[in-house]
Amino acid sequence: MPCNIELRNICQSFQTNDTKVTLFEGLNLTISRGKSYAITGPSGAGKSSLLMLMSGLEEPTSGTGTYVNGEQTKPLPELRSDIGFIFQQFHLLPELTALNNVALPLKLRGDKNAVTKAKHWLEKVGLQHRFDHKPSQLSGGEQQRVAIARALVFEPKFIFADEPTGNLDQKSASEIADILFTCCQENNAGLVAVTHSEVLAERAQHRFSLAEGQLSTQETNILKVASC
Amino acid sequence: MLISNSKLAWHFYQQEFSSSHQRLLRWTQGILLLFIMTLGQTSQSIQAYLNDNLQSLLGADAVLSQSSALTIKQQKELAAITNTIVQTQDIKTTLTHNEHWQRTKLKAVDAQYPLQGQLFTSSSLNDNEVVTQSGPEQGHIWLDARLLAGLSINIGDTLKIANQAFLVARVLHHEPDRLMEGHNVDMRAMINTLDIKSLEFAPELIHYRYLIAGSVSQIKALITWQQENLPASQVHHKQGNHPLALFWKRTENFMGLASVLLFFMAAIAINQLTQVHIKKDQYFSAICMSLGATKSTGIQVSILKWLFGLLLIMPVIVTLSAISHWLIINWLNETFTEIVWQWRLTSMLHSVLAVTTIFAIFHAPVWLSLRNNSVAKLFSNNKQGLSHWLSKLSSLVVLSLVVISYSDNALLTLMMVAAIGFTIVVMILVSWSSLTIGEKLSQSFSGLIPFSLFMMKQRLISKSTQILGVGLCAFLLLFTLMLLKDLGNTMTSYQRQHDGNIIVSQATKPQMQFIENWANEHAIDIRQAKPYMYAKLVAVNSQTLAEFSSKPSDSMATFSHAIRLHWSEVVPKNNKVIDGQWWQNNTENWQQISVEEEVMTDLGLALGDWLTFFIGQQQVKLQIVASHVFQPGAGSITFWVQMPPTALAHIQSAHYSMASIELTQQQETLLPALWQKFPTLRMVSLKEVTERFDSMLAMITKVISGFSLMIIILASVVILASISALESQEKKKNSIIMSFGFTQVTCLKLNVIEWLVTASITAIGAILGTYFSGMLIYQSQFSLKYQPDFIWLSITLAIILSVVTGLGIYASRHSLQSSVKQLMSDT
Ligand SMILES: Nc1ncnc2c1ncn2[C@@H]1O[C@H](COP(=O)(O)OP(=O)(O)O)[C@@H](O)[C@H]1O
Ligand SMILES: [Mg+2]
Repeated sequence: MPCNIELRNICQSFQTNDTKVTLFEGLNLTISRGKSYAITGPSGAGKSSLLMLMSGLEEPTSGTGTYVNGEQTKPLPELRSDIGFIFQQFHLLPELTALNNVALPLKLRGDKNAVTKAKHWLEKVGLQHRFDHKPSQLSGGEQQRVAIARALVFEPKFIFADEPTGNLDQKSASEIADILFTCCQENNAGLVAVTHSEVLAERAQHRFSLAEGQLSTQETNILKVASC
Repeated sequence: MLISNSKLAWHFYQQEFSSSHQRLLRWTQGILLLFIMTLGQTSQSIQAYLNDNLQSLLGADAVLSQSSALTIKQQKELAAITNTIVQTQDIKTTLTHNEHWQRTKLKAVDAQYPLQGQLFTSSSLNDNEVVTQSGPEQGHIWLDARLLAGLSINIGDTLKIANQAFLVARVLHHEPDRLMEGHNVDMRAMINTLDIKSLEFAPELIHYRYLIAGSVSQIKALITWQQENLPASQVHHKQGNHPLALFWKRTENFMGLASVLLFFMAAIAINQLTQVHIKKDQYFSAICMSLGATKSTGIQVSILKWLFGLLLIMPVIVTLSAISHWLIINWLNETFTEIVWQWRLTSMLHSVLAVTTIFAIFHAPVWLSLRNNSVAKLFSNNKQGLSHWLSKLSSLVVLSLVVISYSDNALLTLMMVAAIGFTIVVMILVSWSSLTIGEKLSQSFSGLIPFSLFMMKQRLISKSTQILGVGLCAFLLLFTLMLLKDLGNTMTSYQRQHDGNIIVSQATKPQMQFIENWANEHAIDIRQAKPYMYAKLVAVNSQTLAEFSSKPSDSMATFSHAIRLHWSEVVPKNNKVIDGQWWQNNTENWQQISVEEEVMTDLGLALGDWLTFFIGQQQVKLQIVASHVFQPGAGSITFWVQMPPTALAHIQSAHYSMASIELTQQQETLLPALWQKFPTLRMVSLKEVTERFDSMLAMITKVISGFSLMIIILASVVILASISALESQEKKKNSIIMSFGFTQVTCLKLNVIEWLVTASITAIGAILGTYFSGMLIYQSQFSLKYQPDFIWLSITLAIILSVVTGLGIYASRHSLQSSVKQLMSDT
């Protein structure tokens, strides 16, 4: 059963004062559940804006975005409850313990097994000893692991990660990349990661580069390996 | 360095000028400065006035007053210890001319009058006032200008008093010994002492005053002599207290309390705002430091910025304060005649300096935080741990100290601080326990309410600051409103339902007999008539009254004069005994007395206490055996103290009557004749009484509204400040919730639930706090009986809290305008 996000002929531009900034024009893209995607590109290229469009949080200036789930085709904003986000700054709530941070989306949904599920996910990301630590007592890598667990705990169909390793050293970055890809795979979630990190980008099944309003496909490692 | 820092600070200040944390700080500081400055000016003006007044209007070095003349022997003794003695006599009478009548204070003076100071009169209304060397000659009467107008009489006309003719000779402008009358508005007339004899007023109605000149040591000797020989008389002297000092003391107590409340609210508001200020200034200072500036630059800029903020509001505040002071002085003119507006610069500087220092202490956490700042912290949110609580605690301690030293009633302040402390503890306990229990109980349910409780519990520390801020405001507001309402009610309760439209408050025996006949003759209905005699309370259980109780209260003020003592065999129909036992008929034991309940509590009396009264020329001891209260429905005339009729055989003193009479409109024309016959008959129409109360109520309402307005503005500022302190946290929380796939509607619902929970917790705290402080403060400081009206309290609280919730939700709308996008670009 197909489950896709489809962007067709998307144009996004902003009017600031007198100048009109066009981020991208005539952009076409399909994101499928269960696959992973990496988007690279220089700062200010519009990567984050693209994530917002894909997740239906923002409307494009022109063009259409649709959410295809099996037989049904819905507008993108209806995707809202099926997506999770991971940020460069982690954005955990500082007053809550790791466990409570992860349990948060489930509690909001009224899930009675929130804590059990949250424990399970924290174990999955390797933080079984850190349940009761506050974010301030965790390293950056650990905080990002909590954030990954929090984004996946309510089993969303798609995960959008905006420079998830941007604030981490190389070692943590590759650990995070491991966890992120493995977890999304296991959960059958589509992963879209915006990144500057080669390590991270290389692990994605599909790789795009966004520059000067153009989205171009790049070969990924897997294909390279296959061609060898 | 300083100049460049000032420029930097000025620039920084301008940038922040219209941001909410600066605006709220301006309001807080402005309101408090305005209040303290105006209060300081007014207080100084009144104190100066009272002192001036005492020095210039006593008209003597000491004045001895009592309700009977000194005996020859006493006069001789007095003359032996002092230099000069001048006697004046006062009587309250009603002057009539054609169909006009006016209640008047008639004063008779002897040839030596005035003793000190100057007497001003004029020969006609339009003439200039001139200094006059002595009082009117025999057969002449001088009237003040209002009385001339009130009676429609002219200079040169003849005025008849008790069928004796007087020539209206001069206009009376100013008597130098008017101190005691300074605060009453009676119309005034003056005659010669020799005439008062021929008017044949009942001697016990005449009030005698002796103006005495003497040195400080002679006055001391005089006071000793008076305490031994004339305990029921009153002495005022230049080294002593103004007769209005007690009244003013009470007002100051109230104002002191008001400023304590306002200081607390300002402290809460500033404390909430410092969190925002710390963030902004730390960021700015860290940037400065990353560009090579020193740490002290950051601190200097922050201090200068704060100073600019304060300096900039100063001209506005001074202007507003001068205007308010002027308005208040004008308004006080009714009580303190001839008080003048004057701006006291030193007092102003004093207020400004004191308040600025306090503000600086409140604001100090910002500067302290800059000392611990570093470039490394530029992008990391620095945490507040123990030092956060330490700074809160220290500002609380400083606040208490400041407040204790500021207010001159330490006991009241201590009580208020205790009440506030109690409220804080209650609110901390309630918020902790209710959130814990609520969270535990609701764990098995799903939905937004358990989630809100969970979140609030998790964020207890930051949330409880907000709860405390809002809760203290609700408490202070509720307490103030309750106090003002009850003070207002006390005033109105004096205005009991009258069953007649004319009240005779003092009629001598022959006068009463005449009135009875007169009423019969004209078919006028006398509703009630009750006898009494005048008694001055001098001691309780062999302690003098002053030794026994020093609290200023209404009862106390009244007991410094003679009061009306009633006798009755049975409990009067409009009374009810609530404690002790009324006497048997024809009891042998005549030394018994029943005292009104409010008086008992006011003076701190108990059943079994012995009261010593000075009645007529003798001392009488009576033991309290019962306590009674007024019971409506059977007439309005009631007495504070009552004794068995058998006591009359042992007490020689004049008997008077109080009566209420129902008069039709047409019958009112009969009154002038009655007064012509008995000028000293004390009789007021109900209309007059209600008018007097209406004006008093209007005054109290003005004070209440003015003060409540100030508290309400400050309370709103506190709430806004506490919201703005948490705004960035809230914003982030909302964005994160939205990143889980929820919409703004969910955030709004969560917000509403949170505010409702906050409001309920604060409601409990405010009600308990108000109840506690009522019990603590009412009786001891305002001599009010504390009978909390829980329905009124709940309704008021519900209104306050729905406004709080509404305001809270409205003010948090900024934090609802958050989006996931902000989390992506946010650093
Ligand atoms: N709402 C907006 N209004 C105006 N300009 C915007 C808006 N959102 C993004 N931009 C601009 O679009 C550009 C791309 O932003 P962004 O998507 O954050 O880039 P990236 O994530 O690739 O660094 C930036 O120059 C930014 O200023
Ligand atoms: Mg970006």
